[in-house]
Amino acid sequence: MTERVGITRRAVTKSAVAGIALAAVPFWPRRAVAAEPIKIGMPLALTGPLGSVGQQLKRGGELWAKTQNAKGGLVGRQIQLFIEDTGGNPADAVRKAQELVERDGCNIFTGITLSSEALAVVPKLEEWKAIFVSSDNGDGRLTAESFVPNFFRSNISAPMGARAVSLFLRESEWQNVYAIGMDYAWGRNSVQVFESEMKRAKKNFIGSVFSPIGTKDFSTYITKIRQSGAEAVYITMAGDDYNAFLAQAAQYRLPDKVQLLSEVVDLTVPRAVGDAALGLISSMRYCFRLDNPKNKEFVALWQKEYGAVPDNNEGEQWQALQVLAAGIEKAGSTDTTALRSALETVAIDDIKGRVAVRKCDHQAVQAGYMVKLVKADGFSYPVPQIIATYPDDKTTPACNKMTFED
Amino acid sequence: MSLLAFFVTQSLNALSQAALLFFLGVGLTLIFGIMRIVNFAHGTLYMLGAFVGYSVARLTGSFWAALLLAPLAVGLVGMLFEFAILRRLYQREASAFLMVTFGLALVLGEIIRLAWGPDALQVEAPQTFAGIVFLLDEPFPTYRLFLAGAGIIVAVTIWQFLDRTRLGLLIRAASQNPEMVSALGTDVNLLRSAVFGIGCGLAGIGGVLAAPLVTASVGMAATMIIDAFVIVIIGGMGSFLGSLIAALLVAFTQVFGEYYLPDLALAFMYLLMLLVLVVRPGGLLGKEA
Repeated sequence: MTERVGITRRAVTKSAVAGIALAAVPFWPRRAVAAEPIKIGMPLALTGPLGSVGQQLKRGGELWAKTQNAKGGLVGRQIQLFIEDTGGNPADAVRKAQELVERDGCNIFTGITLSSEALAVVPKLEEWKAIFVSSDNGDGRLTAESFVPNFFRSNISAPMGARAVSLFLRESEWQNVYAIGMDYAWGRNSVQVFESEMKRAKKNFIGSVFSPIGTKDFSTYITKIRQSGAEAVYITMAGDDYNAFLAQAAQYRLPDKVQLLSEVVDLTVPRAVGDAALGLISSMRYCFRLDNPKNKEFVALWQKEYGAVPDNNEGEQWQALQVLAAGIEKAGSTDTTALRSALETVAIDDIKGRVAVRKCDHQAVQAGYMVKLVKADGFSYPVPQIIATYPDDKTTPACNKMTFED
Repeated sequence: MSLLAFFVTQSLNALSQAALLFFLGVGLTLIFGIMRIVNFAHGTLYMLGAFVGYSVARLTGSFWAALLLAPLAVGLVGMLFEFAILRRLYQREASAFLMVTFGLALVLGEIIRLAWGPDALQVEAPQTFAGIVFLLDEPFPTYRLFLAGAGIIVAVTIWQFLDRTRLGLLIRAASQNPEMVSALGTDVNLLRSAVFGIGCGLAGIGGVLAAPLVTASVGMAATMIIDAFVIVIIGGMGSFLGSLIAALLVAFTQVFGEYYLPDLALAFMYLLMLLVLVVRPGGLLGKEA
């Protein structure tokens, strides 16, 4: 009997000590650090079929934080990034984001990689009192029917990319078009916008097909494109799937018969498939060949750090953080409410030229680009050459809209 | 495209995919048959094959050197793993192997990422098979014909090896009664090492051969391991012939299913598995569970 009491008492003491220790943990770092760092959460898809995109966002975020911190941080505070891997899974993205809020005290997110992840995260932003500045999410619904006030989009969206390709196609001789997309939020949304564009442009939209994320064999899809009789095919793919599609399409000599056009292309694609990407025409969200002083400076900085030119999503992540930085400086703090109203009217002149957030749906209004992948001196793989630029009022849809009027 | 041309080219596509699935499934099933181990690292070893293949092709300029050396390297890694770690666990319950091989998948995956970087890498098809042939006026990549051929050659080789050689006989015997084989004076541990090495080497062949189609990328393990498990389950755990039939079934269902009902593309493989398991719970050629 006495023994039992002893054990119980010890157990009680133990759990009490543990409880006190746990309760004390959240308090001690605050005393230790003078100025609290600005905590930015990046729940990225670092692995999985879109891992290459997540890796770009990571590099973009890291170099930006390093550069900013070397300049003394923002509003007198250092930047601290909290990077997590979601594997590209929406449920994991929500869980990791929640951990970043509750465990690490982040109230700012950026870099969430897949649109399906972003769509899962945005409904929680209000409850978490967190701001999310998208650097990569294409799905038009994020600034339309799924819009929430704490969401901002700095990047070119899928409707904007689809629009640039459509404007380019309007001027072309190709009449019959087909579309293929990855079977999830972004791919479906992009093809839907493209279809509506083609119909208004009086082109013959033959049809579309969607391949599941992680498809390895594209022979059936390539056969469908060939059989459609299209002269041009619009592609909404990224990561491993896009590489596999292009490599196999070239093996089938598809580009000899059909012009390939895509909503977006990363440099990782021509690096992985080489000449199979030659001749591809695509919209691009950021291109290292943009001719302006800010961009030249950025490209030089990037080359010094990583020994390569910055890629599509690396530039977009940089721009998103520049937009965020302008917001924080304007608000003078990272308080969620103050930051939100500051971001609503932020306009910067940066690596992509002028980018202005608009208040109505928090989309950053900006110009669109079309590139063609060509051989160039100094590169072992095909690189983009800018072949058309469209002004921001042509490529950005009306507030809370995904499709265009003209 | 004529209907005949369509069926011929799509069937050849399915055969080329079946070959890739078979390289993975047969290794997994052989390992399970003799060792009762579900090797979770199989997809990662396949990926290792692709990356080592990339480096060998890069250094020697020859795809054939890659096809020879990469599977050997992957087989060696497999044998080392068996010798250093798995061997200590044979007395434990099956869940220990799940944990350990899953751990190997994670560690090896990270090592590959650190060594080769996170971006996908290009492996070109060998010059001999880089072109196209016209089959009934339809262009068809010769590389896919080569894949289908390679699948047939490897399948026949394994079959003859299991059926005609002494080592093959011992492997079959050990999968039925390891104690008896041991009592008759054969070192079963050595046999297990050999089978694990051969199984991993086959995954390595699959990795090198798949690389010109899908590039060498750090995401390729995750998408392939599930397919490999499905093959093993449909074919019956431990059955060589079962894995061959299952690879063919899955590839044909996938190719023709995707064509006629693209919205269900993701479901075909699992529907097929479900159907097989309902009719034969142990798989097509497996023992009833």
